[in-house]
Amino acid sequence: METPTADDLLQFRDYSGGAPAQINVNSPTHATGGGSGSGSGGAGGGGAIGGNTNAQRQRGDPLADLIYDMSTSAQTLAGGGVPNAQNASLDGSGAGGGGSKLSFLTIEYYQQFFNVDTYMVLERIANSMIPKRAAGNYLRMNIGENPDLYGPFWITVTLIFSIAISGNIASYLQQANDGYRWHYNFHLVSYAATCIFLYANILPAILWALFKYSLKPVDAAEAVETDSASYTPTLLSLMCIYGYSLAIYIPVSILWVINISLLQWLLVITAALLSGTVLIAVLTPALRNSQFSLFLIIGILSAHIVLAAGFLLYFFHSPPEVVSSGYPPAAPPAAALKTVTDAAVNAGVVAGNQTH
Amino acid sequence: MDSKLDMFEDVNTSPAPSLEGEMSIPGKRMTTTTSPGGVPDYNTLDEPIRETVLRDIRAVGVKFYHVLYPKEKSSLLRDWDLWGPLVLCTFMATILQGSSSADSMADNGPEFAQVFVIVWIGAAIVTLNSKLLGGNISFFQSVCVLGYCLTPVAISLIVCRVILLAAHTTFLFFLRFVTTTMGFAWATYASFVFLGQSQPPHRKPLAVYPIFLFFFIISWLVLSHN
Repeated sequence: METPTADDLLQFRDYSGGAPAQINVNSPTHATGGGSGSGSGGAGGGGAIGGNTNAQRQRGDPLADLIYDMSTSAQTLAGGGVPNAQNASLDGSGAGGGGSKLSFLTIEYYQQFFNVDTYMVLERIANSMIPKRAAGNYLRMNIGENPDLYGPFWITVTLIFSIAISGNIASYLQQANDGYRWHYNFHLVSYAATCIFLYANILPAILWALFKYSLKPVDAAEAVETDSASYTPTLLSLMCIYGYSLAIYIPVSILWVINISLLQWLLVITAALLSGTVLIAVLTPALRNSQFSLFLIIGILSAHIVLAAGFLLYFFHSPPEVVSSGYPPAAPPAAALKTVTDAAVNAGVVAGNQTH
Repeated sequence: MDSKLDMFEDVNTSPAPSLEGEMSIPGKRMTTTTSPGGVPDYNTLDEPIRETVLRDIRAVGVKFYHVLYPKEKSSLLRDWDLWGPLVLCTFMATILQGSSSADSMADNGPEFAQVFVIVWIGAAIVTLNSKLLGGNISFFQSVCVLGYCLTPVAISLIVCRVILLAAHTTFLFFLRFVTTTMGFAWATYASFVFLGQSQPPHRKPLAVYPIFLFFFIISWLVLSHN
């Protein structure tokens, strides 16, 4: 009996039909396509090399098509990702447009939102606090070209924890002389996270929708000259600006620990007006483009002030009963009862003193 | 029918009877006995199970030692495991969780799950941040380093727990504060030694700041636990 070769075996299994037949069909392609097809049925192993992908692609195999697309996108990523970072570090203008072809499932797609250097982040934080520091075309040329999410994300996270921590310290200082055994309240973190993340994400989305909705109809003749002055930002730019505008509240929230009411409210007004005016100034090109810009300006400013006042009232001024009201439901009535009875006792004492 | 029988015989008499090979799995931990080729010197199939377990435990112990004495950089990065982080995180979450009694004096400390989530999600977010900034380090290597670097913080938690057995005085609070600060600084320094060089120099502060924040938050939990 003669020993059959591998091809004979494959030929034989071809009669049984089904899946093994595909091996027989594919293996000649591998042999001719560059000799890298070592695995049986290893279209993936051969396709990733990139040498024989074209030959496979012409066969109309959907799997080969998919692999071809993936390998080409991987090649563009490998070629295009690193120069993007280098360019941005050199001229600071960013190269976000280069990554528009990337799939949103890859990590490189998100790297374009983190395409910042240390000095850029510091510059943007400073620009969000100090009025008239940014140039007139800051929104369009700086933020619009390369909006980042690094600053907004870490600023909001820092703000959440700085408010929670200094809120705890403030409540400790308020109760330290009462002989009350202080317990820290971790749930402040959850409340702060909810309200800050909502503010930093929902408000830009609303603002963006309003900008889109209230776009001023532009005359053709007027369009040429106003083009440089008016600009409607993207959603990402708005989120970037709003995230940075929260940065001023981080030092303010630490200063709120000082338990002087006048100072605290002065800080609220100062911080909200500082970053609010910067926000308005930066958004001026977009506001100029909108039909009801006055309404938007008032809305932006009042939301900023309400946020700061809400921080102060909720996290720093609340008496212990209110702070703990979320967790043990039985606590507030008992505490309220205690204050009421205390007041009654005091009133009784006062009344008694008066009668004497 | 005949042809099928033929095939089986042929397979049996085919000229490649020996099925030898090496089952080396890339990425496994081979801390102490790795030869230069990356192939382990031992055979996990033949040895007693006690040796296998002991070798892994020893690898974890070596990593703890490297964190407490952060000089050598490569060991933690090359062979990552998540046993140490799991042990540390479970231990800290168990101690830090608030009491769940329903009286009004119940402290509003974090739940077990909250500490657990802060440690793991926090480490994942910090790692993702350094990946997004363009750092050249694999995901689990960074999570492993961040988890092991919790060791000084966990030690400061033990010390704080012992101090809390005594009365609550200002001096003892100061002692706890100093202990926690030392643990925090140590953890941040160790993770900086291990992770610092994975970033391009102009972005190093951007990658280090989240690590700082991560350990600061956990140290705050340790300090305010009473």
